[in-house]
Amino acid sequence: MRQTGTAAFVIVLTVLAFVASAGAQPAGTLLVGLVAEPVNLDPAQVTDLNSNRVGRRIAETLVTFPDESTQIVPGLAESWTISKDGLKYTFKLRRNVRFHDGSPFDAEAVKFSIERQILAEHPANKLGKYPFANYFFGNVKAVEVVDPHTVEFILKEPRASFLAVLTAGAASIVSPTAVKKLGADYPLSPVGTGPFKFASWDRGQRVVLEKNAGYWKHPVNVDRVIYRPIVEDQARLTELLTGALDLVVGAPPDAVAQLENNPRVTLVKQVGAHVWYLGINNQKKPFDDKRVRQALNYAVNKDAIVRDVLKGTGSPSRGPVLPNTWGADPALKAYPYDPERAKKLLAEAGYPSGFSTTLWVPESGSGMQSPVAMSTVIQSNLKAVGVNVTLQTMEWGAYLAKLRSKEQDLFALSWMAGNEDPDMVMYPLLHSTQWTPNGPNRALYKNDKYDELLHQARLTTDQKKRAELYREAQRILVDDAPWIFVDHEIQTAAFAKRVQGFKLHPSFDLRVETISLK
Amino acid sequence: MKYYLARRLLLLVPVLAGVSIIIFMVLHLAPGDPAEIMLGSQATQEDLVRLRADLGLNEPLHVQYLRWVGHVARGDLGRSLWMKRPVLGEVLTRFRATLVLTATALVLSTTIGIALGVTAAMRPNSMLDRLSAVASLFGASMPSFWLGIVLMVIFALQLGWLPASGMYAPHSGGDARDLLTHLILPAVTLAAASVTIVARLTRSAMLDTLAQDYVRTARAKGVSSGAVVLRHALGNALVPIVTVVGVQAGYLLGGAVLTETVFAWPGVGTLMVQGILARDFPLVQGCVLVVALSFVLVNLAVDLLYAWLDPRIRYE
Repeated sequence: MRQTGTAAFVIVLTVLAFVASAGAQPAGTLLVGLVAEPVNLDPAQVTDLNSNRVGRRIAETLVTFPDESTQIVPGLAESWTISKDGLKYTFKLRRNVRFHDGSPFDAEAVKFSIERQILAEHPANKLGKYPFANYFFGNVKAVEVVDPHTVEFILKEPRASFLAVLTAGAASIVSPTAVKKLGADYPLSPVGTGPFKFASWDRGQRVVLEKNAGYWKHPVNVDRVIYRPIVEDQARLTELLTGALDLVVGAPPDAVAQLENNPRVTLVKQVGAHVWYLGINNQKKPFDDKRVRQALNYAVNKDAIVRDVLKGTGSPSRGPVLPNTWGADPALKAYPYDPERAKKLLAEAGYPSGFSTTLWVPESGSGMQSPVAMSTVIQSNLKAVGVNVTLQTMEWGAYLAKLRSKEQDLFALSWMAGNEDPDMVMYPLLHSTQWTPNGPNRALYKNDKYDELLHQARLTTDQKKRAELYREAQRILVDDAPWIFVDHEIQTAAFAKRVQGFKLHPSFDLRVETISLK
Repeated sequence: MKYYLARRLLLLVPVLAGVSIIIFMVLHLAPGDPAEIMLGSQATQEDLVRLRADLGLNEPLHVQYLRWVGHVARGDLGRSLWMKRPVLGEVLTRFRATLVLTATALVLSTTIGIALGVTAAMRPNSMLDRLSAVASLFGASMPSFWLGIVLMVIFALQLGWLPASGMYAPHSGGDARDLLTHLILPAVTLAAASVTIVARLTRSAMLDTLAQDYVRTARAKGVSSGAVVLRHALGNALVPIVTVVGVQAGYLLGGAVLTETVFAWPGVGTLMVQGILARDFPLVQGCVLVVALSFVLVNLAVDLLYAWLDPRIRYE
């Protein structure tokens, strides 16, 4: 018996020695671990973050963001003018830019990329489904080619945030030649003007991009990027710590401290254009009373949620707009944690002994951080002031369907605007024309003064004036307290020492083109 | 025999039809639809209505189902709503990875399970037998995602002997050795629970046969102890063991979902989970069809194996 045991042990050791893996990485290849696999790579057909993180390396937009902020700067367009009435945007396009397939980037390509999404009779319209075409470009009446390097967008109504709309992935300019050639298969091998070219995709395993040697903006220092989808947090971190990956995004909150103290990797953080809120049904009793909604805001300890649940991967929010951006009001005061004040307000509103209510929570979902753990803290905070909350957790798809019913009391939700224009978050989530099911205003909030300020801000193209209007609107919001304001997500990424020059982007983009490998 | 085989293969059609109807109903009755999930929290009613129409979700359920069946009959499983890829190629590629993992796990669990079971039965109530009982209980009660992560932390993170995830190294790689390295941890994880079931069953089947008269006769005739156990007893104990191994094959196909997720194994299990979360009807239908088909075929193979193992069993 002992002999068999020894023999078995020797065999196992031999096998292990045979297979033991070598850790060295090929020079010039950057290995990136993603939380989930990209779904497809046609920017106009994409609805998720991971697809965009890869797809934006391939195709680019007319206007874009610098590497550290979400202010708007020229991209494929060198410059632009906006007509006085705010209805005509004219873009001068960059010359001598070519798509990866060699075809020229020009005004026709811009027209094609947008019109294929919005015109039902467009020859490329039936080649795909464009889920956000109406959301982003519903206001576009026409895209006109003035000359090969000038293009005009004619809008139906003025909308000052239109430049911000054009930074969206869906506004990426794709090669018309490639779309016509590949047809319905275009999302599987996209062609754009970006810093990397699509090379190959082994489903479930990896997406490979090769550098675009003729990139118009700057030389690209990495020869090849390989993206690997690894859903399990521990597996992704293990691959990073053993040197099998160079860069991972989305460290779980519990691993943040461990990564910060690990000398082999660098952890970076960056607050993103995102907001996590607890929506309140503003039309339903007892929440139709402002004092009740304010009381809920005083009752919740946001600092504790950010510190203990999110382990520093969130920043407490004062309202929907990200602080330190042009539209944010620096004077805006956050609701402090003050349970006594909450109880007093509840008593004033006629609920001295509180009330019972229901909180709907999705189990997971894009941008939802740790929804159940966060909601559980909120539940116990509210209990302390006499509000008995029943948590109802749901799968994401079922949750979205249920929110359409207007029967919600309280609900947890988040919003990733991807840029800092206040219109992109304040209008859809809180303007009264956007009440669910017509729009995403699921709190059913309505304030005429607020509506008017937001409308005015859309008509004004002067950013300074817009900022003033948004600041006033934010002060109204904080007083009205249509949500419990919770946090803005702080993104995390960890990378190996050989990775140089990487920064997380507030838009949640993953700009690996800035990286060089040591 | 030929008639039996033909009948069993014909039976596949109603079985698969039944499975596909059930899956179709379950998916469509679950709250939330693909349009809702694609559009996420930004959806407007107008966008939803338009996308639903585009995706063909507005037609009555039986029309949608029959249209799908019509395409399947012509060998077209459709295009994934969400990935925009043809379903058939996608499912087959991913199923190959699942098959590699499941087959390895099945070989591991069968050989180790039978070896452990036979050893335990030869010396019932010995130290070894008790040890294997404890190990079995442990193996059966460990959730595979937990075991997988523990193995990963030990062998990939601490010792650095094996890669933590994937099927091949992302660069270069791709040969048999590369595959083997990546296969060890997920296969062992997947096999763990099965090993214990096969071992316990082998033990009791062996104890039964070892107590039979013909075994005593063989021993009395002076046949060596090893030959008695392996030739006379194990041969006869194999029928129940094969049954449980057949069931395990199905269990492993299902259990692969968790193991694949933990180790980022590019199999059909992870694909199916993604498909269900996105309500990607054609994709999930395609996955289920392939998995159900392989499950039925494994069962058929087990039934045929009985006749081969025990010549007294005949199929008419």
